[in-house]
Amino acid sequence: MIRVENVSYSYSSGATTVTDLSFHIQAGEFVAILGENGAGKTTTVKLIDGLLRPTKGRVLINGSDTARSRVSERAKQVGFLFQNPDRQICRNTVREEIAFGLRAVWGKKEEARIKARTQEMLDIFSFSGDEEVFALSKGQRQQVALASTLAVKPSVLILDEPTTGLDYRECTHIMNFIRDLNETEGTTVVMVCHDMEVVLDYAKRALVMAGGRLIADGSVHQIFRNVPVMEKASLLPPQIVQLAVRLGGEFSEADEAGELAELIAKKRKGG
Amino acid sequence: MTDVFQYTPGDSVLHRMNPVTKIFLTFCICMAAFLTDHLSVLIFLLFLDLMLGVIAGIPRKAFSIFRGLAKISLFLFALQALFVRRGNPVFWIITDEGLRTAGTVVLRLLVVCLPFALILAVTQVSDIANSMVQVLHVPYAYAFTLALTIRFIPLFMEEMSGIMEAQAARGIEFDTKNILKKFGLLLPLCAPLLISSMRQTGATATAARVRGFSLRTADSGYKKYGFGLVDLCAAVLSIALIAGAAWIR
Repeated sequence: MIRVENVSYSYSSGATTVTDLSFHIQAGEFVAILGENGAGKTTTVKLIDGLLRPTKGRVLINGSDTARSRVSERAKQVGFLFQNPDRQICRNTVREEIAFGLRAVWGKKEEARIKARTQEMLDIFSFSGDEEVFALSKGQRQQVALASTLAVKPSVLILDEPTTGLDYRECTHIMNFIRDLNETEGTTVVMVCHDMEVVLDYAKRALVMAGGRLIADGSVHQIFRNVPVMEKASLLPPQIVQLAVRLGGEFSEADEAGELAELIAKKRKGG
Repeated sequence: MTDVFQYTPGDSVLHRMNPVTKIFLTFCICMAAFLTDHLSVLIFLLFLDLMLGVIAGIPRKAFSIFRGLAKISLFLFALQALFVRRGNPVFWIITDEGLRTAGTVVLRLLVVCLPFALILAVTQVSDIANSMVQVLHVPYAYAFTLALTIRFIPLFMEEMSGIMEAQAARGIEFDTKNILKKFGLLLPLCAPLLISSMRQTGATATAARVRGFSLRTADSGYKKYGFGLVDLCAAVLSIALIAGAAWIR
């Protein structure tokens, strides 16, 4: 599905760079890209979508090189949710905003289809459609941007820090929706995220970056227990994982509070 | 392109010069450009602008700004050459007077814009504001507004490029090579840019207020801006430029 082959990139200012990145993401995977600020995570997802062109190597999506086609043409296939929803939003009402993206991808001739799909997205995200977008909260604007991105039914969804600035309820609402999409529709999800709790709850695989290089690739469960990798990337695993590892033995593999509580209760009963 | 309006650290003569002298020099170069119609004088002023970039130790930046401006100038040159009807025909509908006017306008544009970009490259924006308050006795609120405007230019350019990137990712054809189509697509982007600008300026105003903006006076700055030999030479050069341009005219 997504194949990144020996990709390197450096900005003209010489700022963040990525060096010799290679990985492969299968269709339907839910992958998190982790690393401290400046590790090259956003650069990597921009390279995947073709917003940046590699200075070396190539990125293939379904076998086609992203450097050889335009980003706007790829919007049918790849949806990109930015950290700041205000960069995506350019219409006054929620309905107009969702329809605007659809018109760009499907063309103005498909007005009936666009209208139906817009209404469908409004129903899914519980908007009436007449809300003024810029008067909504950040979380709601993020939902509008997500609705607009998902309206075209992309097979790949790239999320650049989707939960930044959202409260717990808004964060859970958006992430649960994305998980459902990944599990039911088979949408491939690539997410850049600083919140390790969110990564543990939703992603299955993690790519860890440090200094523009990929330093680890594995299941989230394995990565969070790999102390040298986590230290090198200046990351801390979620508290529940830290607790499970410290308890050791049969508890060390637990990833959820409920699972850990059950194991402790069982141990107590057993004496 | 966003780094054009950003300060480049250095220790050149121009870096060390009093900001007010630099403003005066810039102002005089602009005045000289408007006082003369001689192409040779304008070419000399353009050469002087580029030399100032070399003296400041930022020749690459100076030439990069020049290249950026030259692209706009080409468009302006074509417009002027095509629409000025006076003079003798040289080729098709283009006249000798049209070519001369186009050359003068374009050279003036280059001569006037370059020093403004250069002054920002060799002077911290806060130094421009503080020296205006200290030396020229401009009220701080006005000097701060000017400084903030300059500081916001690269921020807004970055924001605009981020918005265009986000729009291209959702299927809007910002990556098209058709310039006219691109211009048409820019209109809907005014909303997000305006909203983010208002939010940023609002946040900056609040931050300035809570940090005691209203308490600031002309004596609040700790840095003193002296007037040395270099400043004297620059001032003499500035006056000579105006006198020379007026005399040759």
